[in-house]
Amino acid sequence: MNPLKVDRIIKNYGDKRAVNGLSFEVAAGEIYGLLGANGAGKTTTMRMVLGLILPDEGGIRYLGNPYSEQQLSMLGYLPEERGMYPKIKVSEQIMYLAQLRGMSRKDADKNLKQWLEKFQVPEYYNKKVEELSKGNQQKIQFIAAVIHKPKILILDEAFSGLDPVNVELLKTTVKELRDEGTSIVFSTHRMEHVEELCRNITIMHRSNPVLQGPIKEIKKKFPQERVVVAADGKIEGLDTIPGVRQVTLHEHGGYELKVDSPDAGQRILKHALDQGPVNRFEVLEPTLNEIFIKTVGESHE
Amino acid sequence: MNNSLWTVMSFTMRNKLRSKGFIIMTVVLALLLVVVGNLPYLIEKLSGGSGGATKVGYAEGQQAQVVEGLKSYYAKLPEPGVELVGIASEEQLKSSLENGDIKGYLTFQEDAAAGFPKVTYNSKNAFEGGTSFSLTAALQQVKYDAVLEDAGLTDAQKAQLYTPVSFQTQKVSFTNEKGKTEAEQGIAIALTYVMIIMLFMAVMITGQLIATEITAEKSSRVMEIIVTSVSPLKQMWGKILGTFLVAMIQIVILVGALVANLTLPHNSDILKGFGFDLSSIDPLLLIYAVFFYLAGFFLYATLFAAVGSIVSRTEDLGQAVMPITMLTLVGFYIAMFGLNQPDSTLMVVCQYIPFFSPFLMFLRIGLAEPAWWEIALSIGILIASILAIGWLSAKIYRVGVLMYGKRPSMKEIVKAMKAYKV
Repeated sequence: MNPLKVDRIIKNYGDKRAVNGLSFEVAAGEIYGLLGANGAGKTTTMRMVLGLILPDEGGIRYLGNPYSEQQLSMLGYLPEERGMYPKIKVSEQIMYLAQLRGMSRKDADKNLKQWLEKFQVPEYYNKKVEELSKGNQQKIQFIAAVIHKPKILILDEAFSGLDPVNVELLKTTVKELRDEGTSIVFSTHRMEHVEELCRNITIMHRSNPVLQGPIKEIKKKFPQERVVVAADGKIEGLDTIPGVRQVTLHEHGGYELKVDSPDAGQRILKHALDQGPVNRFEVLEPTLNEIFIKTVGESHE
Repeated sequence: MNNSLWTVMSFTMRNKLRSKGFIIMTVVLALLLVVVGNLPYLIEKLSGGSGGATKVGYAEGQQAQVVEGLKSYYAKLPEPGVELVGIASEEQLKSSLENGDIKGYLTFQEDAAAGFPKVTYNSKNAFEGGTSFSLTAALQQVKYDAVLEDAGLTDAQKAQLYTPVSFQTQKVSFTNEKGKTEAEQGIAIALTYVMIIMLFMAVMITGQLIATEITAEKSSRVMEIIVTSVSPLKQMWGKILGTFLVAMIQIVILVGALVANLTLPHNSDILKGFGFDLSSIDPLLLIYAVFFYLAGFFLYATLFAAVGSIVSRTEDLGQAVMPITMLTLVGFYIAMFGLNQPDSTLMVVCQYIPFFSPFLMFLRIGLAEPAWWEIALSIGILIASILAIGWLSAKIYRVGVLMYGKRPSMKEIVKAMKAYKV
């Protein structure tokens, strides 16, 4: 049984439908990507999963149980808008939040020290949050979300505003949590993170789930439309090959071509080889970024 | 899961009690009250200790009869407030005043019609109240003596004439057999006054504090995590109770400082002299005081919490709590008015209005004699409205904490309540 099961939930705000018949399941040890443009209904969905608001129709099951206060202690949440008590010591507020999730002070203290050690910032234990930099505040907030070892973790824009080193650090941590069996719902606008972390995704558009499934299969549905080819010298006449729609010369050598169908790639390779040795040739899968823009952007008026 | 209520409470309390502002304010207020507590003693010490009697000069030879009368009047008093000092001539009077040898001097002007000279007291300060009262009384006495001397009354008749009329006020009580004595009345007025001011301050300061904290939690977005960890109702009550307990601790410290100093032997004797005896407080009145204090506090605190929850930024809070502040102010001022007229129609009507009754019903119990059913009805309405407002506030709180952006209107809140199914 999957830890988190969302079953055809519908939520209306007045006459406006915020979420329309969304279903998904998150297995243990899986990161599930919840994508969508701003205002697509992601936050409402996450709030429903967190039990802050109840769906009008449909249901959400946690390890097979419906929502109740007992489920609160197994949920972890990192909200998009970051915030902590600015004037209160890190240790004090993390322990408070952990206690609210049903942990004892002693366990919370032990876990907090471990986490600070892991993030290599043990000296923050006695610091006030306002004394920390934004990125470090975010680390503390991440600790607050996971300190009680939640079974279901909801991360809303977990890596925004972090430098690449810290993004890597948090990403590794998220992967570790996944490997320990946590079910993670992951929402972000950074598609490369989704590609790296998520097995299954849902793309929401205007309250509706428009694209759902494993990333691999979703990608197969979208034609491979990009070819990259590079040689030492110039390659002439690429735009004359049948099936090529557009040719872009890259800054550091090499051409990126938009094609109608994958077999145009073979013609391009042949054409390039005729002019000399080729040191790079690749038929690219569509990136999630393209898929997202295609799915969500096309219906924009 | 009452654990989480306790967690919120203790977190709120710990942070309050540790904050520098709170500690400094409590210490300063406590010191202030220690001074106030010793005020009776200090006043007595200062007024009695300024070199005994005020020296009042007169020109020797002027109105010898009147001056002699004054001297013999003050000689008879156990603690004469005025000492008459003879100065050689009228011209020297002013210079002696300037030197500080005397505090003031008397000049006389013949007044044939009254049969007694007009007297002027000249001093550096026009507001020498005590001395001029004393002199007026003394001169009146001297005048009586002068007139009565000619009337040929016996000493016994004179003594009868001088004995003041015996006059006392006593409030008639219908519930308990004995009426309140003046001392009890005084204590009741004092207690009422103290309770009303304390309630007013508690509501204004603590209520604002609760609202500010909730808004701050919301604007710093900690709220998002908290509402997903603990039910909003528990969080709201944890906050209210925690802040309340802190306020209580503060009050206990402050009242303790005051009462401890008032009951010190040197102070309590003086207070008793004024007819103030702390032990004569009616215990029932104290129970009412505690009840109405608590009721008033929780009624307003839940309202403040609700308002705090719908505002997203602390800057907007002042405007949002204005209506509640107004309500408290109105209640407070009606109570101030009612101190003099506890039985006026305004009071009798307003004692049933829940926002005012904590102030007014207690005032009427202390100062007037409301019938038992009036008290019962008022308390009943009050408790019912606390429950109703607490319930409503919890609902507003539930949706308020999730609404960001501009302050929502009533309509939007109701709409959100429907949408959130709370």
